[in-house]
Amino acid sequence: MTHTLLRDTGLLPRLACVAAALIASCGAPALAAADSLPGAEQIVTRTLPNGLKIVIWPDSDIPNVAMYTWYRAGSRNERPGITGISHFFEHMMFKGTSTRPEGEFDRVMEANGGSNNANTRADVTVYEDWFPNTVTELIFDLESDRMRNLNLDPKAVESERNVVYSERRSSIDNDNFGTLMEQVQATAYLAHPYEIPTLGWPSDIEGWKVQDLKDYYQKYYAPNNAVMFIVGDVKPEEVFGLADKYLAGLKAQPAPEPVTTREPPQLGERRIRVVREAQTPLIAMAWHAGAAPDRETRVMEVLLAILGSGDSSRLHQRLVEQEQAAVEVGTYLHQGFDPGLAWIFAVVPPGGSTARTESLIDAEIARIAKEGPTPGELTKSRNQALAGFWRGLETISGKAEALGEYEVFHGDYRKLFDAPAVYESITAEEVRQAAATVLRPDNRTVGVLEPKPAAAPAEKGSKGGAR
Amino acid sequence: MSWRMSWTQFALLTVMVTVACPAHADSAGGVHLPAFECATLANGTQLLLMEKHDTPLISLSVAVRGGALGDPAGKDGTAALFAELTQKGAGTRSAAQFADAVETAGGQLGASAGDESVGLKASFMARDADLMIGLVADALLRPRFAPEEFAKVRTLAAQSIAAAKDSDPRALIGEYGDAWLFHGHPYGRPVEGSERTLAAITLDDVKRYYAEHVGGDRLIIAVVGDFKAPEMRRKLEVAFGGWRKAAAPVPSASAPVRVQGRRVLLVDKPGATQAYFWLGNVGANRTDPTRTAQSVVNTLFGGRFTSMLNTELRIKSGLTYGANSGFDRRTQPGSFSISSYTRTEKTTEAIDLALATLDRARSEGFDDQALASARTYLLGQFPTTLETNGHLAGRLIDLAFYGLGPEDVDQYATRVRAVDATAARRVLATAFPASADLAVVLIGDAAKIRDAAKRIGPVTEMKITDPQFYPEAPK
Repeated sequence: MTHTLLRDTGLLPRLACVAAALIASCGAPALAAADSLPGAEQIVTRTLPNGLKIVIWPDSDIPNVAMYTWYRAGSRNERPGITGISHFFEHMMFKGTSTRPEGEFDRVMEANGGSNNANTRADVTVYEDWFPNTVTELIFDLESDRMRNLNLDPKAVESERNVVYSERRSSIDNDNFGTLMEQVQATAYLAHPYEIPTLGWPSDIEGWKVQDLKDYYQKYYAPNNAVMFIVGDVKPEEVFGLADKYLAGLKAQPAPEPVTTREPPQLGERRIRVVREAQTPLIAMAWHAGAAPDRETRVMEVLLAILGSGDSSRLHQRLVEQEQAAVEVGTYLHQGFDPGLAWIFAVVPPGGSTARTESLIDAEIARIAKEGPTPGELTKSRNQALAGFWRGLETISGKAEALGEYEVFHGDYRKLFDAPAVYESITAEEVRQAAATVLRPDNRTVGVLEPKPAAAPAEKGSKGGAR
Repeated sequence: MSWRMSWTQFALLTVMVTVACPAHADSAGGVHLPAFECATLANGTQLLLMEKHDTPLISLSVAVRGGALGDPAGKDGTAALFAELTQKGAGTRSAAQFADAVETAGGQLGASAGDESVGLKASFMARDADLMIGLVADALLRPRFAPEEFAKVRTLAAQSIAAAKDSDPRALIGEYGDAWLFHGHPYGRPVEGSERTLAAITLDDVKRYYAEHVGGDRLIIAVVGDFKAPEMRRKLEVAFGGWRKAAAPVPSASAPVRVQGRRVLLVDKPGATQAYFWLGNVGANRTDPTRTAQSVVNTLFGGRFTSMLNTELRIKSGLTYGANSGFDRRTQPGSFSISSYTRTEKTTEAIDLALATLDRARSEGFDDQALASARTYLLGQFPTTLETNGHLAGRLIDLAFYGLGPEDVDQYATRVRAVDATAARRVLATAFPASADLAVVLIGDAAKIRDAAKRIGPVTEMKITDPQFYPEAPK
């Protein structure tokens, strides 16, 4: 559910943020010197007897509060028949409780100066509230009500089913990148539920039952399966008092069964071809990489930054600037509980040859796998991570998101502050090895989106031709 | 050389005019714009400096007055190509060296054109201030305009539009909307150009644009973050104080004329499974005295999740994932628009509902309870719009560009609290269009929504692959 009403005016999709089905987060911060972070020493935590952990970071820069509630539940916890239900359930969390009719949650929050949003990912579902610090108790009341008393009214379920289908049509079906990424992701996994698109397959969107939602609520929306992050102009003792009053009565539930399936090693390159109305062909490549807390994931972040982050990156310079073989290139790394995918994307010029673009990407991967990064590139990736870290912590929202990433995926929010040392320790040889051992053909899925022939007039003067 | 540099620096200091910032007004319990320093250099460049030390970061934003209003006839996108070329080689650095310098420092630097200004935005670590100011100055004062870079930038701009047309139509529908609503007025020209107009632009056009519409007298620079203001001011004086003036007068636009009646543009996107619609008319400008009342009313009509539009089209009916409305404010009134989308077979139902919702808002107005909710909402969310260095630098530029003082922020709360039912009714009648008077854009599978389009008003049709945003015959 996106409550955000901001309109996107950009001409190009932001590659890393293009498909909701895949996004763990865009622009996740990395790494800085912990001891120079003002206010970090004031972070306090408490775990209620029912297992709900609360992390508070006081910050009085503005008189507002960001409250993020993370549930360890996402499309990774689904199976055929109920794909997309985590995301659908997220929508239903706004649709009324036994004590508040449908719409009351949003009406009350907005009338009191608050706003909210939520997002569902493969691994987690996150609820976000932003509000003036004068109404903190009211927000606790609203949140605890839907954690305890959600009413899954069949009429509201049917209406919201259409809303979610509309979301899917916009993000996937009527967006060529969304379409391609969904197909590549589903092809890259044979066994692991990361193959499931977070928005769900259309027939499942049409088929979810009220009972499926009730089961989901019972199993995953338990206090012991959640962590709450509160950042802003608050006094921790007051917030803990509110937590005792509103959240301590929630009943713990048996831990959901763990996801135990492990994706078997890929035995050879997989290729798919997607044909759509299009002017620009697209390429998406995805390799099996590591899980969020793994050191190899930090190394992969560096490798992908050197390859594809910014105009000075290797892929941008070679494909866009030197060879005019791409309109845009980008990378994305899924960082979750289980081993995710490392992605490289390219938008191919109208009438351009996807084979040529692909071979240039291959050449750049081969080069870094052989020679490794330069010292200048390592310095650049460190500086980008450091500046990105600070930018991520400029807002109370950014702090809540960063705490969440580290607490939930890395097991401890304090590791956010250990990251600089990890990052500084990454060597050129590790980056080279990651390119050689992870970004190899047998470990990847390649998806190519090609224009339907009739709708692909070759542009004057462009190289190659329509297939 | 060091002697020469220090002499230049001294000369600039002596001719600089320091202007006191406009006095802060009472903030009436709301958000207060933090103190900042103002100066105007001898060449007319305006400086706005705000220290903020909570992170070791600095944001630097630049506006050069003029923007796409300075584009030659038939060459929409000239200012945008100029903006892009500032990043493609400047001073002693080639395009690749320039990008490498920014990114090696962990910095960000981007340039883009708007309707009425060209903007540069930079974010960087405080330790890299000298480097990054030097790069921004190179970009503006010493762009190389290499022919091979121009050719690439122009080609990529056209290809990017093609790529956007293959993507989510929500990103482009406003481009068609402005073209359709403002046709014949400068606000109807696409800032980024179209495939057709880009093809007509030469490097000489860009160089002429640079000479005529870019210079120190057009320049506003805002810097917010971890620095000492006197030192930052000196750096900026050295970097920008000696810059020439733009050769031409600042271009301006007349007030656009409202659409009477309806006209419909149907953009055919074969295979689309949703219809995307945009309903607009001329709205209100940035300095409109009733802008705050307009914002309060738009919050209730289409500016937040529980707005009338989203309630009707999403929450109650499930017709769409989102419906909203908003004002695009410029020196002259830009658009007021409603936009949403629905599955193809529901096109008529959704558009009729949007039109009926507009009628209902205008006829019924909003009661005190609703207005109180909107006022509280806007005041509660306002601090988050002034949280970062980038937010604040952007706001300082915005205020200077439109000649507004700090009271635009400081008295925001007072203005919001003053919006009552009478003020709401007044702006509903003046700034919100009647449903009978609308420029309408529909993007979808024309074969399936043509009849729905005809029900709204007289239809003109084009293809999404046409190389422009307005339906005109190729020359």
